[in-house]
Amino acid sequence: MRRLPVYFLLDTSGSMYGEPIQALNNALSGMINTLRTDAQALDSLWISIITYDREVKEIVPLTELVHFQLPEITCPQSGPTNTGAGLDFVIQKVKKDVIKGSATQKGDWKPLLFVFTDGKPSDIQFYREKTQEIKNLSFGAVVGCAAGHMANDEILKELTDNVVHLASADSSTLKQFFKWVSETIEQGNKSQGTGESVTLPPPPSEITVVI
Amino acid sequence: MEETKRYLRSFLSQHKIDISSGKTALFDEFTASEKNVNAVKIIQENQKMIMENWMLKNKIHDILTQTVSIPNGTVNKKYYAKIDFNTLGWNDFIALEIEGLENTGLEFTKNDELVGTPEISGDLKIKIKFRIEGEPEDSALNEKIITLIINPDPKSLWKNLESDKNDPFWKPDNEAVAAKFLDKNIVIASKRGRSHANAGSFREDDFAYKNLKEIGWSVLAVSDGAGSAKLSRKGSKIACESVVQYFEENLKPENLKEFDQVLAEHHNKASDETSKKISHFVYQNLSKAAHAAHQKLEEFAVKNETELKNLHATLIFTLVKKYDFGYAILTFGIGDCPIGLLNKDLTEIKLMNWLDVGDFGGGTRFVTMPEIFQSDKFSTRFGFKLVDDFSYLMLMTDGIYDPKFVVEANLEKIEKWAEFLEDLKGKNEDGTKVDFDKNNPDIAAQLSAWMDFWSPGNHDDRTLAIIY
Repeated sequence: MRRLPVYFLLDTSGSMYGEPIQALNNALSGMINTLRTDAQALDSLWISIITYDREVKEIVPLTELVHFQLPEITCPQSGPTNTGAGLDFVIQKVKKDVIKGSATQKGDWKPLLFVFTDGKPSDIQFYREKTQEIKNLSFGAVVGCAAGHMANDEILKELTDNVVHLASADSSTLKQFFKWVSETIEQGNKSQGTGESVTLPPPPSEITVVI
Repeated sequence: MEETKRYLRSFLSQHKIDISSGKTALFDEFTASEKNVNAVKIIQENQKMIMENWMLKNKIHDILTQTVSIPNGTVNKKYYAKIDFNTLGWNDFIALEIEGLENTGLEFTKNDELVGTPEISGDLKIKIKFRIEGEPEDSALNEKIITLIINPDPKSLWKNLESDKNDPFWKPDNEAVAAKFLDKNIVIASKRGRSHANAGSFREDDFAYKNLKEIGWSVLAVSDGAGSAKLSRKGSKIACESVVQYFEENLKPENLKEFDQVLAEHHNKASDETSKKISHFVYQNLSKAAHAAHQKLEEFAVKNETELKNLHATLIFTLVKKYDFGYAILTFGIGDCPIGLLNKDLTEIKLMNWLDVGDFGGGTRFVTMPEIFQSDKFSTRFGFKLVDDFSYLMLMTDGIYDPKFVVEANLEKIEKWAEFLEDLKGKNEDGTKVDFDKNNPDIAAQLSAWMDFWSPGNHDDRTLAIIY
């Protein structure tokens, strides 16, 4: 069976401590529940959750939605935002996890990547090296999400053309955002039959698309 | 006595009072007093009780906060999970009750297993009520909640929404036909995939066939419109119809005489020359038909002010003629739809075309892509076979090939085709049969019904055309 691998790279640096991380947990859990009721997603979706702060952690390795269990995501009270290191980890995982098609094995659908941050990379040089590598991998779509006034849209733009900005990382905004993410994933699932990139659905009003 | 002495010495020492040698006798007398002996005993008993109580509370707290993960379940799918009390460190339970399984389809067995067939989806909260060793017999049970995630039955999630009949490019969601094809029979079913039915969108596969009686050739074309191309339903239709139309308009009896002769010669004694002439004919005529399809698509795009890529569709077709010495089968293919020819006694499969499959799902090629016709590989897209007879000639879209053959390599294995035939003849989960008796009038409906088979992750449009 063809899988649609979806990677979430989530910022858990110090600034996320407290209410934001709580909101992120709730929103993720809501998204997973929504996806569970989507016929197509339940059949083909595989999800991985990776967090980054001072360290990069694979919270959930690439797991079939049917078997997916979301653990509580926590974050330290302070510390840097090593986005570059996070991207590096995703690159290694994608190279290892995602199955390419051949005469004897069924290829996966092109993977999707969602990068969530409320700040800017502390390892900017490494980050810039890695954005190039991400572009060279065959993602169906890479979506960057900058939340709150500290998040830097421009730097995220270097990673992907698909950047959205959230006014804050509060519960209702994040919920809206992840609802949109699940729509995007469902969209990714539907574009079966071509090798082209996923067209993103229009985002809700809480989300500003950064042009 | 010694115990009292040790205890009191340690107690005084904690308060920084040491017993000097001059006070030894006094201390001995003090610790021997019955009053003090009893007091120490009571203190020690109380301490022991406090310690035991703390350990008990601590243990219960650990159990309550311990993460217990059990595998997710799915509605209508047998569930089994063993709650391993030893591994969890729960070996001193003296009472246990499980609540929250009423009307869920699940039960908790004597062997600590959670078994059954889940009936409702959602987060099932299972209450484990327990008492551990050391707790009083009449104390209230502790309660721990564990969450069991039950996925909905994927089959129940698919909606079947009708496509919009007012759409200018609407076509029926399902089609099935049976007819004659030369002196053989043909049955074709084309069905909208569940992924499209779920969204009320259109069937994107298509097919067309015709017996061109004047020239004695018959043509069959199958096309799969790309999922993301918004007018691909029209693209696949145009592709198939224009191939049939091309042959109808351009193959004339007078131009075919020479080829008939070449085939006869080739049958008598195949030589480099006859092979070359055949290749030339196949290439000349079939490439023009494919090109005609491309042109028609282009014209449609221009006329309707849309981009050609909105019509993306794969295309396979075959041109077949019956001679006294056998059947000549000519094929062409762009995309990931196979053409398989099974010999008379079902011992050999000839895959007539190679498939355009990319590194990733969906990475195929379409007749709408102009670069196809310029590519070095273009000349390898043709197939030819001259056979005395055959049992089945099948053309299918990836909606059939993906679930039934899974990968390209299997298309060249006769045992996989044998399985596929068995499947068609009823060896499947639902026992749906297609009866290939030439006099079976219901074959189209049977094939259409067979095509409803369930295969996880495979919900694309399905088209299967069989000449038998």
